[in-house]
Amino acid sequence: MDLAYYPGCSLYQSAKLYNHQIKLVLGMLDLKLKELEDWSCCGATSAGKINDFMAVALPARNIGIAESTGLSELVIPCSACYSRTMVAQKQLQDFPLLKNEINFELSKKTTGNIKVSSALDVLRREIKGSRFKSIPLQKLEGYSPACYYGCMNTRFPYDVPISDNVENPQAMETVLEATGVKAVDWNYKTLCCGASSVIYNPEGALDLMAKIMRDAVSRDADCFVVNCPMCQMNMESQQDNFCEKHDIKERLPVYFITELIGMAFGLSKEELQPGDDLFINGMDWTDLCGDSV
Amino acid sequence: MASEPFEYTPQAADVFTQEVMARSGQNLTACYQCKRCASGCPVAEDTDMVTPNRLIRMVVLGDIENALTNKLTWKCLFCHTCGTRCPNNIKTGRIADTLKKMALDAGIDPQQPEYKNFHRAFFNYSLRWGRINEIGMMGEFQLRNMWDHLKKGNYVAILSEIMSKSTLAWKMFKQKRLHLSFHSSKGRDEISRLYKKSSGRKWI
Ligand code: SF4
Ligand code: SF4
Repeated sequence: MDLAYYPGCSLYQSAKLYNHQIKLVLGMLDLKLKELEDWSCCGATSAGKINDFMAVALPARNIGIAESTGLSELVIPCSACYSRTMVAQKQLQDFPLLKNEINFELSKKTTGNIKVSSALDVLRREIKGSRFKSIPLQKLEGYSPACYYGCMNTRFPYDVPISDNVENPQAMETVLEATGVKAVDWNYKTLCCGASSVIYNPEGALDLMAKIMRDAVSRDADCFVVNCPMCQMNMESQQDNFCEKHDIKERLPVYFITELIGMAFGLSKEELQPGDDLFINGMDWTDLCGDSV
Repeated sequence: MASEPFEYTPQAADVFTQEVMARSGQNLTACYQCKRCASGCPVAEDTDMVTPNRLIRMVVLGDIENALTNKLTWKCLFCHTCGTRCPNNIKTGRIADTLKKMALDAGIDPQQPEYKNFHRAFFNYSLRWGRINEIGMMGEFQLRNMWDHLKKGNYVAILSEIMSKSTLAWKMFKQKRLHLSFHSSKGRDEISRLYKKSSGRKWI
Protein backbone atom coordinates (compact mmCIF):
# COMPACT_ATOMS: atom_id res chain seq x y z
CA MET A 1 0.00 0.00 0.00
CA ASP A 2 1.18 3.53 -0.75
CA LEU A 3 1.16 6.19 1.93
CA ALA A 4 1.91 9.90 1.57
CA TYR A 5 5.02 10.72 3.56
CA TYR A 6 6.22 13.93 5.20
CA PRO A 7 9.75 13.49 6.59
CA GLY A 8 10.27 17.07 7.83
CA CYS A 9 13.55 18.92 8.31
CA SER A 10 14.97 16.88 11.22
CA LEU A 11 14.70 13.65 9.31
CA TYR A 12 16.78 15.20 6.54
CA GLN A 13 19.48 16.28 8.98
CA SER A 14 20.13 15.39 12.60
CA ALA A 15 17.62 12.51 12.58
CA LYS A 16 18.55 11.16 9.16
CA LEU A 17 18.84 7.74 10.71
CA TYR A 18 15.16 7.76 11.66
CA ASN A 19 14.15 8.57 8.09
CA HIS A 20 16.22 5.70 6.81
CA GLN A 21 14.89 3.21 9.35
CA ILE A 22 11.23 4.17 9.01
CA LYS A 23 11.40 3.50 5.30
CA LEU A 24 13.08 0.15 5.86
CA VAL A 25 10.73 -1.05 8.56
CA LEU A 26 7.51 0.09 6.92
CA GLY A 27 8.85 -1.27 3.64
CA MET A 28 9.05 -4.71 5.20
CA LEU A 29 5.39 -4.32 6.08
CA ASP A 30 4.66 -3.69 2.38
CA LEU A 31 4.00 -0.01 2.94
CA LYS A 32 5.57 2.31 0.39
CA LEU A 33 6.22 5.83 1.56
CA LYS A 34 5.67 8.42 -1.17
CA GLU A 35 7.53 11.50 -0.09
CA LEU A 36 5.58 14.72 -0.67
CA GLU A 37 6.95 16.63 -3.60
CA ASP A 38 8.65 19.86 -2.56
CA TRP A 39 7.41 19.70 1.02
CA SER A 40 8.32 22.63 3.25
CA CYS A 41 9.07 23.16 6.94
CA CYS A 42 6.03 22.89 9.24
CA GLY A 43 7.29 25.80 11.36
CA ALA A 44 7.68 23.49 14.38
CA THR A 45 7.01 25.25 17.67
CA SER A 46 8.84 28.38 16.54
CA ALA A 47 6.33 29.68 13.99
CA GLY A 48 3.58 29.87 16.60
CA LYS A 49 5.82 31.84 18.95
CA ILE A 50 5.97 34.63 16.41
CA ASN A 51 3.11 34.38 13.97
CA ASP A 52 -0.08 32.42 14.64
CA PHE A 53 -1.26 32.64 11.06
CA MET A 54 1.92 31.10 9.65
CA ALA A 55 1.76 28.35 12.28
CA VAL A 56 -1.32 27.13 10.39
CA ALA A 57 -0.32 28.20 6.89
CA LEU A 58 3.02 26.36 6.85
CA PRO A 59 1.58 22.90 7.57
CA ALA A 60 -1.45 23.72 5.38
CA ARG A 61 0.81 23.85 2.33
CA ASN A 62 2.05 20.32 3.06
CA ILE A 63 -1.45 19.02 3.72
CA GLY A 64 -2.49 20.45 0.32
CA ILE A 65 0.39 18.65 -1.39
CA ALA A 66 -0.51 15.43 0.43
CA GLU A 67 -4.14 15.65 -0.65
CA SER A 68 -3.12 16.27 -4.26
CA THR A 69 -1.45 12.86 -4.35
CA GLY A 70 -4.86 11.21 -4.03
CA LEU A 71 -3.51 8.94 -1.29
CA SER A 72 -5.71 8.43 1.73
CA GLU A 73 -3.21 8.76 4.54
CA LEU A 74 -0.30 11.06 5.39
CA VAL A 75 2.39 9.57 7.63
CA ILE A 76 4.61 11.84 9.74
CA PRO A 77 7.34 10.26 11.90
CA CYS A 78 8.55 13.38 13.74
CA SER A 79 6.38 14.16 16.75
CA ALA A 80 6.76 17.92 16.34
CA CYS A 81 5.75 17.87 12.67
CA TYR A 82 2.93 15.48 13.51
CA SER A 83 1.61 17.73 16.27
CA ARG A 84 1.82 20.88 14.14
CA THR A 85 0.12 19.22 11.19
CA MET A 86 -2.67 17.70 13.31
CA VAL A 87 -3.37 21.07 14.94
CA ALA A 88 -3.27 23.02 11.68
CA GLN A 89 -5.56 20.52 10.00
CA LYS A 90 -8.16 20.80 12.76
CA GLN A 91 -7.95 24.58 12.69
CA LEU A 92 -8.46 24.57 8.92
CA GLN A 93 -11.58 22.49 9.47
CA ASP A 94 -12.83 24.68 12.29
CA PHE A 95 -12.18 28.04 10.60
CA PRO A 96 -13.34 27.90 6.97
CA LEU A 97 -12.52 31.55 6.36
CA LEU A 98 -8.96 30.99 7.44
CA LYS A 99 -8.79 27.99 5.15
CA ASN A 100 -9.98 30.09 2.20
CA GLU A 101 -7.45 32.78 2.91
CA ILE A 102 -4.63 30.27 3.01
CA ASN A 103 -5.86 28.31 0.01
CA PHE A 104 -5.92 31.48 -2.05
CA GLU A 105 -2.11 31.50 -2.06
CA LEU A 106 -1.55 27.77 -2.39
CA SER A 107 -1.02 26.05 -5.72
CA LYS A 108 -2.22 22.79 -4.14
CA LYS A 109 -5.35 23.67 -2.18
CA THR A 110 -6.24 21.86 0.98
CA THR A 111 -9.62 20.58 2.06
CA GLY A 112 -8.15 19.65 5.43
CA ASN A 113 -9.51 16.12 5.25
CA ILE A 114 -6.64 13.68 4.65
CA LYS A 115 -6.02 11.24 7.49
CA VAL A 116 -2.84 12.21 9.34
CA SER A 117 -0.99 9.50 11.28
CA SER A 118 2.26 9.31 13.15
CA ALA A 119 4.61 6.53 12.11
CA LEU A 120 3.93 5.01 15.51
CA ASP A 121 0.17 4.94 14.81
CA VAL A 122 0.90 3.07 11.60
CA LEU A 123 3.18 0.56 13.32
CA ARG A 124 0.63 -0.15 16.03
CA ARG A 125 -2.01 -0.78 13.41
CA GLU A 126 0.20 -2.97 11.23
CA ILE A 127 1.22 -5.39 13.96
CA LYS A 128 -2.31 -6.70 13.78
CA GLY A 129 -2.00 -7.35 10.04
CA SER A 130 -1.14 -10.52 8.19
CA ARG A 131 2.04 -9.08 6.67
CA PHE A 132 3.49 -8.53 10.13
CA LYS A 133 2.54 -12.04 11.20
CA SER A 134 4.36 -13.51 8.22
CA ILE A 135 7.71 -11.94 9.14
CA PRO A 136 9.92 -14.36 11.08
CA LEU A 137 10.95 -12.51 14.22
CA GLN A 138 14.44 -12.61 15.68
CA LYS A 139 14.45 -13.00 19.40
CA LEU A 140 15.93 -9.89 21.02
CA GLU A 141 17.11 -11.03 24.38
CA GLY A 142 18.20 -9.41 27.51
CA TYR A 143 17.12 -5.87 27.67
CA SER A 144 14.27 -3.80 28.99
CA PRO A 145 13.57 -0.50 27.31
CA ALA A 146 11.80 2.46 28.88
CA CYS A 147 9.46 3.83 26.22
CA TYR A 148 9.68 7.58 26.37
CA TYR A 149 6.92 9.58 24.61
CA GLY A 150 7.52 13.14 25.73
CA CYS A 151 4.80 15.72 25.09
CA MET A 152 3.87 15.68 21.48
CA ASN A 153 2.38 12.25 20.97
CA THR A 154 -0.61 12.84 23.19
CA ARG A 155 -0.80 16.48 24.28
CA PHE A 156 -1.70 19.20 21.83
CA PRO A 157 -2.22 22.96 22.00
CA TYR A 158 -5.60 22.53 20.34
CA ASP A 159 -8.33 19.87 20.59
CA VAL A 160 -7.51 17.18 18.05
CA PRO A 161 -8.30 13.45 18.04
CA ILE A 162 -5.69 11.70 20.20
CA SER A 163 -4.59 8.25 19.18
CA ASP A 164 -3.35 6.93 22.53
CA ASN A 165 -3.93 7.23 26.26
CA VAL A 166 -2.93 10.77 27.22
CA GLU A 167 -1.30 10.01 30.58
CA ASN A 168 -0.15 6.48 29.97
CA PRO A 169 0.39 5.94 26.25
CA GLN A 170 0.97 2.33 25.21
CA ALA A 171 1.71 2.37 21.49
CA MET A 172 5.44 1.72 21.77
CA GLU A 173 4.98 -0.93 24.48
CA THR A 174 2.37 -2.65 22.33
CA VAL A 175 4.54 -2.66 19.24
CA LEU A 176 7.58 -3.87 21.15
CA GLU A 177 5.58 -6.58 22.86
CA ALA A 178 4.43 -7.87 19.49
CA THR A 179 8.10 -8.26 18.57
CA GLY A 180 8.82 -10.08 21.81
CA VAL A 181 10.28 -7.26 23.92
CA LYS A 182 8.84 -6.39 27.30
CA ALA A 183 9.22 -2.72 28.16
CA VAL A 184 9.43 -1.53 31.77
CA ASP A 185 6.56 0.17 33.48
CA TRP A 186 7.58 3.64 34.64
CA ASN A 187 6.37 7.07 35.65
CA TYR A 188 8.04 9.68 33.50
CA LYS A 189 7.17 8.55 30.02
CA THR A 190 5.30 11.75 29.19
CA LEU A 191 7.32 14.30 31.14
CA CYS A 192 8.66 17.09 28.93
CA CYS A 193 12.41 16.88 28.16
CA GLY A 194 12.61 20.65 27.82
CA ALA A 195 12.67 20.51 24.02
CA SER A 196 14.30 23.60 22.49
CA SER A 197 14.56 25.31 25.89
CA VAL A 198 17.79 23.35 26.24
CA ILE A 199 19.22 26.16 24.13
CA TYR A 200 17.84 29.17 25.99
CA ASN A 201 17.21 27.74 29.48
CA PRO A 202 19.64 24.82 29.72
CA GLU A 203 19.60 24.41 33.50
CA GLY A 204 15.84 23.91 33.62
CA ALA A 205 15.92 21.43 30.76
CA LEU A 206 18.77 19.43 32.31
CA ASP A 207 16.83 19.12 35.58
CA LEU A 208 13.82 17.70 33.75
CA MET A 209 15.89 15.21 31.78
CA ALA A 210 17.59 14.06 34.97
CA LYS A 211 14.19 13.22 36.46
CA ILE A 212 13.34 11.15 33.42
CA MET A 213 16.70 9.40 33.56
CA ARG A 214 16.54 8.70 37.29
CA ASP A 215 13.15 7.03 37.07
CA ALA A 216 14.14 4.92 34.06
CA VAL A 217 17.28 3.77 35.88
CA SER A 218 15.39 2.98 39.08
CA ARG A 219 13.04 0.75 37.07
CA ASP A 220 16.06 -1.15 35.73
CA ALA A 221 15.56 0.02 32.19
CA ASP A 222 18.66 -0.49 30.09
CA CYS A 223 17.82 1.80 27.21
CA PHE A 224 15.30 4.40 26.11
CA VAL A 225 13.10 3.90 23.10
CA VAL A 226 11.67 7.05 21.54
CA ASN A 227 9.81 8.19 18.45
CA CYS A 228 10.58 11.92 18.61
CA PRO A 229 13.80 13.31 17.06
CA MET A 230 13.88 16.18 19.57
CA CYS A 231 13.59 13.84 22.59
CA GLN A 232 16.19 11.55 21.04
CA MET A 233 18.63 14.38 20.49
CA ASN A 234 18.14 15.87 23.94
CA MET A 235 18.27 12.65 25.92
CA GLU A 236 21.33 11.48 24.03
CA SER A 237 23.46 14.55 23.47
CA GLN A 238 22.77 16.06 26.90
CA GLN A 239 23.06 12.83 28.84
CA ASP A 240 26.54 13.41 30.23
CA ASN A 241 25.57 16.94 31.21
CA PHE A 242 22.39 16.12 33.11
CA CYS A 243 23.86 13.00 34.70
CA GLU A 244 26.93 14.84 35.93
CA LYS A 245 24.81 17.68 37.23
CA HIS A 246 22.59 15.29 39.18
CA ASP A 247 25.12 12.67 40.17
CA ILE A 248 23.74 9.86 38.10
CA LYS A 249 26.34 7.23 37.31
CA GLU A 250 24.40 5.18 34.76
CA ARG A 251 24.20 5.95 31.06
CA LEU A 252 21.49 4.64 28.75
CA PRO A 253 21.45 4.54 24.95
CA VAL A 254 18.47 6.25 23.29
CA TYR A 255 17.09 4.33 20.31
CA PHE A 256 14.47 5.19 17.82
CA ILE A 257 11.71 2.58 17.99
CA THR A 258 12.56 1.59 14.43
CA GLU A 259 15.98 0.40 15.55
CA LEU A 260 14.54 -2.36 17.76
CA ILE A 261 11.76 -3.28 15.37
CA GLY A 262 14.28 -3.45 12.53
CA MET A 263 16.48 -5.78 14.53
CA ALA A 264 13.53 -7.97 15.43
CA PHE A 265 12.69 -8.10 11.73
CA GLY A 266 16.12 -9.54 11.14
CA LEU A 267 17.64 -6.48 9.46
CA SER A 268 21.40 -6.35 9.87
CA LYS A 269 23.41 -3.64 11.51
CA GLU A 270 24.67 -2.57 8.08
CA GLU A 271 21.13 -2.23 6.81
CA LEU A 272 19.87 -0.31 9.83
CA GLN A 273 22.94 1.89 10.26
CA PRO A 274 24.70 2.08 6.93
CA GLY A 275 27.88 4.02 7.34
CA ASP A 276 29.10 6.70 9.61
CA ASP A 277 26.72 9.23 8.29
CA LEU A 278 23.84 7.74 10.21
CA PHE A 279 25.58 6.75 13.38
CA ILE A 280 23.92 7.23 16.72
CA ASN A 281 26.38 7.86 19.48
CA GLY A 282 26.32 5.47 22.40
CA MET A 283 25.06 2.59 20.32
CA ASP A 284 26.76 -0.57 21.44
CA TRP A 285 25.47 -3.12 19.05
CA THR A 286 27.02 -6.16 20.71
CA ASP A 287 25.47 -5.20 24.01
CA LEU A 288 22.06 -5.28 22.52
CA CYS A 289 22.21 -8.42 20.49
CA GLY A 290 24.29 -10.50 22.83
CA ASP A 291 26.29 -13.07 20.91
CA SER A 292 24.20 -13.05 17.80
CA VAL A 293 26.31 -10.38 16.09
CA MET B 1 6.23 35.81 44.65
CA ALA B 2 7.04 39.09 46.28
CA SER B 3 4.91 41.66 44.62
CA GLU B 4 3.56 45.07 45.48
CA PRO B 5 -0.16 45.22 46.09
CA PHE B 6 -1.77 46.54 42.97
CA GLU B 7 -4.96 48.41 42.52
CA TYR B 8 -7.76 46.42 40.93
CA THR B 9 -9.42 48.36 38.14
CA PRO B 10 -12.30 46.32 36.77
CA GLN B 11 -12.32 47.97 33.39
CA ALA B 12 -8.60 47.61 32.73
CA ALA B 13 -8.74 44.02 33.96
CA ASP B 14 -11.58 43.30 31.58
CA VAL B 15 -9.81 44.76 28.55
CA PHE B 16 -6.64 42.82 29.32
CA THR B 17 -8.50 39.56 29.96
CA GLN B 18 -10.46 39.91 26.72
CA GLU B 19 -7.27 40.39 24.74
CA VAL B 20 -5.56 37.39 26.33
CA MET B 21 -8.67 35.28 25.74
CA ALA B 22 -8.92 36.28 22.07
CA ARG B 23 -5.25 35.77 21.30
CA SER B 24 -4.87 32.51 23.21
CA GLY B 25 -8.25 31.06 22.31
CA GLN B 26 -8.72 30.07 25.96
CA ASN B 27 -11.70 30.76 28.19
CA LEU B 28 -9.91 32.09 31.26
CA THR B 29 -13.09 32.98 33.10
CA ALA B 30 -14.03 29.28 33.25
CA CYS B 31 -11.18 28.61 35.69
CA TYR B 32 -12.43 27.72 39.20
CA GLN B 33 -8.95 27.43 40.74
CA CYS B 34 -9.02 23.67 41.34
CA LYS B 35 -5.22 23.56 40.73
CA ARG B 36 -5.09 20.33 38.80
CA CYS B 37 -2.94 22.23 36.32
CA ALA B 38 -0.57 23.32 39.08
CA SER B 39 0.24 19.84 40.29
CA GLY B 40 1.33 18.64 36.87
CA CYS B 41 3.31 21.63 35.66
CA PRO B 42 6.96 20.54 35.24
CA VAL B 43 8.44 24.00 35.77
CA ALA B 44 6.24 25.21 38.63
CA GLU B 45 8.85 24.27 41.25
CA ASP B 46 10.95 27.03 39.91
CA THR B 47 8.62 29.91 39.17
CA ASP B 48 8.40 31.66 42.54
CA MET B 49 5.06 30.00 43.23
CA VAL B 50 3.41 31.20 40.06
CA THR B 51 1.48 28.09 39.07
CA PRO B 52 -0.76 27.95 35.97
CA ASN B 53 -3.89 28.68 38.02
CA ARG B 54 -2.24 31.71 39.61
CA LEU B 55 -1.20 32.97 36.22
CA ILE B 56 -4.84 32.85 35.16
CA ARG B 57 -5.89 34.71 38.29
CA MET B 58 -3.25 37.37 37.59
CA VAL B 59 -4.63 37.97 34.13
CA VAL B 60 -8.26 38.02 35.21
CA LEU B 61 -7.47 40.51 37.97
CA GLY B 62 -5.63 42.72 35.50
CA ASP B 63 -2.23 42.46 37.18
CA ILE B 64 -0.67 43.20 33.83
CA GLU B 65 2.88 43.86 34.89
CA ASN B 66 3.21 40.60 36.80
CA ALA B 67 1.40 38.66 34.10
CA LEU B 68 3.99 39.77 31.55
CA THR B 69 7.09 39.43 33.73
CA ASN B 70 6.55 36.47 36.09
CA LYS B 71 8.71 33.38 35.75
CA LEU B 72 6.00 30.96 34.62
CA THR B 73 5.16 33.09 31.61
CA TRP B 74 8.76 32.83 30.51
CA LYS B 75 9.64 29.33 31.67
CA CYS B 76 6.52 27.58 30.38
CA LEU B 77 7.58 24.80 28.03
CA PHE B 78 4.32 24.56 26.09
CA CYS B 79 4.11 20.93 27.26
CA HIS B 80 0.30 21.03 27.69
CA THR B 81 0.15 18.94 30.82
CA CYS B 82 -1.98 21.67 32.39
CA GLY B 83 -4.37 21.69 29.43
CA THR B 84 -4.96 17.95 29.29
CA ARG B 85 -5.68 17.82 33.03
CA CYS B 86 -7.88 20.88 33.30
CA PRO B 87 -11.54 19.96 33.81
CA ASN B 88 -12.44 23.10 31.88
CA ASN B 89 -10.03 22.43 29.05
CA ILE B 90 -8.03 25.59 29.64
CA LYS B 91 -4.65 25.33 27.97
CA THR B 92 -2.50 27.56 30.12
CA GLY B 93 0.48 26.87 27.89
CA ARG B 94 -1.26 28.89 25.20
CA ILE B 95 -1.96 31.65 27.71
CA ALA B 96 1.73 31.81 28.67
CA ASP B 97 2.64 31.84 24.99
CA THR B 98 0.25 34.71 24.38
CA LEU B 99 1.64 36.65 27.33
CA LYS B 100 5.16 36.21 25.98
CA LYS B 101 4.04 37.68 22.67
CA MET B 102 2.27 40.55 24.42
CA ALA B 103 5.38 41.22 26.50
CA LEU B 104 7.57 41.30 23.40
CA ASP B 105 5.04 43.59 21.67
CA ALA B 106 5.28 45.88 24.71
CA GLY B 107 9.06 46.00 24.39
CA ILE B 108 9.73 43.91 27.49
CA ASP B 109 12.95 41.90 27.25
CA PRO B 110 12.44 38.14 27.44
CA GLN B 111 13.71 36.56 30.67
CA GLN B 112 15.80 34.16 28.66
CA PRO B 113 17.41 36.51 26.17
CA GLU B 114 18.02 33.75 23.66
CA TYR B 115 14.35 32.70 23.57
CA LYS B 116 13.38 35.35 21.08
CA ASN B 117 16.47 34.96 18.95
CA PHE B 118 16.09 31.20 18.70
CA HIS B 119 12.48 31.21 17.54
CA ARG B 120 13.13 34.22 15.27
CA ALA B 121 16.09 32.50 13.67
CA PHE B 122 14.14 29.28 13.18
CA PHE B 123 11.06 31.00 11.79
CA ASN B 124 12.96 33.35 9.48
CA TYR B 125 15.09 30.52 8.21
CA SER B 126 12.05 28.43 7.38
CA LEU B 127 10.48 31.38 5.54
CA ARG B 128 13.65 32.11 3.62
CA TRP B 129 14.55 28.61 2.48
CA GLY B 130 11.34 26.67 2.99
CA ARG B 131 13.25 24.12 5.06
CA ILE B 132 15.57 24.18 8.04
CA ASN B 133 19.27 23.50 7.66
CA GLU B 134 20.49 23.14 11.18
CA ILE B 135 23.91 24.70 10.64
CA GLY B 136 22.50 27.71 8.84
CA MET B 137 19.70 28.21 11.34
CA MET B 138 22.04 27.95 14.31
CA GLY B 139 24.38 30.39 12.59
CA GLU B 140 21.59 32.92 12.24
CA PHE B 141 20.67 32.35 15.89
CA GLN B 142 24.23 32.97 16.98
CA LEU B 143 24.52 36.15 14.91
CA ARG B 144 21.35 37.47 16.49
CA ASN B 145 22.74 36.81 19.97
CA MET B 146 26.02 38.48 19.09
CA TRP B 147 24.24 41.50 17.63
CA ASP B 148 22.34 41.88 20.92
CA HIS B 149 25.60 41.75 22.89
CA LEU B 150 27.21 44.20 20.50
CA LYS B 151 24.43 46.72 20.97
CA LYS B 152 25.10 46.55 24.69
CA GLY B 153 28.87 46.74 24.18
CA ASN B 154 29.23 43.37 25.91
CA TYR B 155 32.33 41.91 24.25
CA VAL B 156 32.93 39.22 26.85
CA ALA B 157 29.48 37.81 26.05
CA ILE B 158 30.32 37.76 22.35
CA LEU B 159 33.42 35.72 23.04
CA SER B 160 31.60 33.26 25.28
CA GLU B 161 28.84 32.99 22.68
CA ILE B 162 31.38 31.91 20.08
CA MET B 163 33.06 29.50 22.48
CA SER B 164 29.93 27.83 23.83
CA LYS B 165 28.07 27.49 20.56
CA SER B 166 31.08 26.23 18.69
CA THR B 167 31.68 23.63 21.40
CA LEU B 168 28.11 22.45 20.91
CA ALA B 169 28.50 22.42 17.14
CA TRP B 170 31.78 20.54 17.38
CA LYS B 171 30.22 17.97 19.69
CA MET B 172 27.34 17.44 17.29
CA PHE B 173 29.74 17.24 14.41
CA LYS B 174 31.81 14.59 16.15
CA GLN B 175 28.66 12.63 16.88
CA LYS B 176 27.89 12.83 13.16
CA ARG B 177 24.70 14.72 13.89
CA LEU B 178 25.56 17.89 11.97
CA HIS B 179 25.11 17.53 8.26
CA LEU B 180 26.64 19.81 5.72
CA SER B 181 24.15 19.05 2.98
CA PHE B 182 21.79 21.87 2.06
CA HIS B 183 18.11 21.44 1.30
CA SER B 184 15.35 23.92 0.51
CA SER B 185 11.84 24.03 -0.92
CA LYS B 186 10.62 25.74 -4.07
CA GLY B 187 7.45 26.60 -2.22
CA ARG B 188 9.20 29.69 -0.88
CA ASP B 189 7.16 31.99 -3.12
CA GLU B 190 3.88 30.68 -1.82
CA ILE B 191 5.21 30.89 1.69
CA SER B 192 6.33 34.48 1.34
CA ARG B 193 2.92 35.48 -0.10
CA LEU B 194 1.27 33.86 2.92
CA TYR B 195 3.67 35.68 5.18
CA LYS B 196 2.76 39.03 3.64
CA LYS B 197 -0.86 38.22 4.27
CA SER B 198 -0.14 37.57 7.92
CA SER B 199 1.32 40.98 8.60
CA GLY B 200 -0.45 42.87 11.34
CA ARG B 201 -2.54 39.88 12.41
CA LYS B 202 -2.48 39.29 16.13
CA TRP B 203 -4.08 35.86 16.00
CA ILE B 204 -5.17 33.34 13.39
S1 SF4 C 1 -7.03 22.92 36.15
FE1 SF4 C 1 -8.24 24.39 34.94
S2 SF4 C 1 -9.95 25.03 36.26
FE2 SF4 C 1 -8.41 24.00 37.57
S3 SF4 C 1 -7.15 25.70 38.36
FE3 SF4 C 1 -6.14 24.93 36.50
S4 SF4 C 1 -6.93 26.20 34.83
FE4 SF4 C 1 -8.29 26.49 36.59
S1 SF4 D 1 2.21 24.10 29.31
FE1 SF4 D 1 3.42 25.49 30.58
S2 SF4 D 1 2.08 26.01 32.29
FE2 SF4 D 1 1.24 24.18 31.34
S3 SF4 D 1 2.09 22.47 32.48
FE3 SF4 D 1 3.43 22.81 30.71
S4 SF4 D 1 5.04 24.21 31.46
FE4 SF4 D 1 3.34 24.28 32.97
